[in-house]
Amino acid sequence: MENMKTNETKLTKKDISSVSRRWIMGSQITWNYEKQMAIGYLWAMLPIIRKLYKDPKEQQEMLKTHVQFFNTTPHMGGFICGIDAATEEHEGYKAKETVKGLKTGLMGPFAGVGDTLFGVLFPTIFGSIAAYMGQEGNIAGAIIWLIVNIAILCLRYFTAGIGYREGSKIITSAKDKLDALTAAATLLGITVVGALVSTVVSANVTASFTSGEVTVNGQEILDQIMPCMVPVIVVAFIYWLLGRKKMTSTKAIILVMVLSIVLYALGILG
Amino acid sequence: MEIQMWQIIALTILSMILIWDSLSTAIFDGKPMFAGILAGIIMGDITTGLAVGATLQLMVLGVGTYGGSSMPDYLTGAIVGTVFAVTSGQGVEFGIGLAVPVGLLMVNLDVLARFCNVFFAKRVEAAIDRMDYKAIARNTWLGMVPWGLSRALPVFIMLIFGEDIVNALVNYMPDWLTGGLRVAGGLLPAVGIAILLRYLPVKKYISFLLLGFFAAAYLSVPMVGIAIFGVAMAVLEFKKSINGNQVAVAANAGDSQEGLLDGEYED
Repeated sequence: MENMKTNETKLTKKDISSVSRRWIMGSQITWNYEKQMAIGYLWAMLPIIRKLYKDPKEQQEMLKTHVQFFNTTPHMGGFICGIDAATEEHEGYKAKETVKGLKTGLMGPFAGVGDTLFGVLFPTIFGSIAAYMGQEGNIAGAIIWLIVNIAILCLRYFTAGIGYREGSKIITSAKDKLDALTAAATLLGITVVGALVSTVVSANVTASFTSGEVTVNGQEILDQIMPCMVPVIVVAFIYWLLGRKKMTSTKAIILVMVLSIVLYALGILG
Repeated sequence: MEIQMWQIIALTILSMILIWDSLSTAIFDGKPMFAGILAGIIMGDITTGLAVGATLQLMVLGVGTYGGSSMPDYLTGAIVGTVFAVTSGQGVEFGIGLAVPVGLLMVNLDVLARFCNVFFAKRVEAAIDRMDYKAIARNTWLGMVPWGLSRALPVFIMLIFGEDIVNALVNYMPDWLTGGLRVAGGLLPAVGIAILLRYLPVKKYISFLLLGFFAAAYLSVPMVGIAIFGVAMAVLEFKKSINGNQVAVAANAGDSQEGLLDGEYED
């Protein structure tokens, strides 16, 4: 009968903040190949578990529930912790199975959006600008990027609270916005990448062709056809290579290094 | 210039702090850009650190650690590359030439650290069986040790013993190698760009790829200008997605999601 009773212990704002802090600091500290972020998730939820379940047996069962395989984007995990905390607060111990399903059901969709936004698009957009300016000896781009990262960290602090208040309806309410944001950021990222091809890849053709008394500089000919022709060809070549089976980025890097040395030795690039 | 002991210690601590930060607060996010700058500050030559970090950053654009995949560790590479670019006096290209193989080798230690943490995770589970909360906390945080050592040890060893090796390398390095590394430094950012293009839904947004190229190559618009143009187009796209009718939004979202999944690049 006691399991049927709705949990009476209420979580406070402080509890939720604590979950947020613990998730940010601990999510990946004990990252391992077996259960990935499981220990981090457990660490984030510990204060909640200790507060909600007074019966030691229930407490232990919930600890075991939260130490199962978990993996999502660290930036997004706070939402899941918050939704989980709200569910456990309302349903108590009988939510055990629900919570298992909730965690595995949410980690995928959140990782899909989170990896794209925080793993690829933001680092691409700000990293490109920072690196481009850095190559010109200007540190300003890197400082802007640092400020953005600090702002993201501050926002992450609120994710558990948002998840706690909005519950699982956050997935439907936020999904449209996140998808729109992802589409917009993708567009911006691709525009910047297009510019990067011509600005950060550099290749100087040193080969020249002598026909009779006329010597033609190779670089000049290429420039007349199209500026940055060699960088475009190199990017297209590696793009094609990466689409082939068994080709990895590591192999591509080694190949480019060997190719550079050969082309320099042959006097084609310099 | 010769490296001082305090610099070696500071750089070793830096490598630890950067890896811990990338796992938690992520304000430097484990990016070589920041590693290069910070190593440059310690070495008293920010310009070199900035240039080494920037070039390595361009190589890892779009390379992320999803679901626990390891990527070349250019964080450590940027630190070591910056140091030897400064101490050898051989310049940025030489530093990058060293940083790339270092980064490629260091990926093995990243794997080892992730593997070692299985041990602490097992101990956490054993602590749950005993309901020992202190042991849960202790073993969770001990996970920091393999992570920290996986960066600190190689940096420390390379900085202590590397100088002689690097000096010997510099003295006997033939022209074809130095020149080749210089060419490689110019071409390597192409790898990062190509990886990104594999990941992003390029086919859907091909016009913007061309527009970005056109603006930079033919009009010589600086990068910030291109970003402003990109933001303008992105805002339009965002409004279109949000304000469009529900069906359009759903179709759009489905498209972009599909494109990203199709183009997903895995190392």
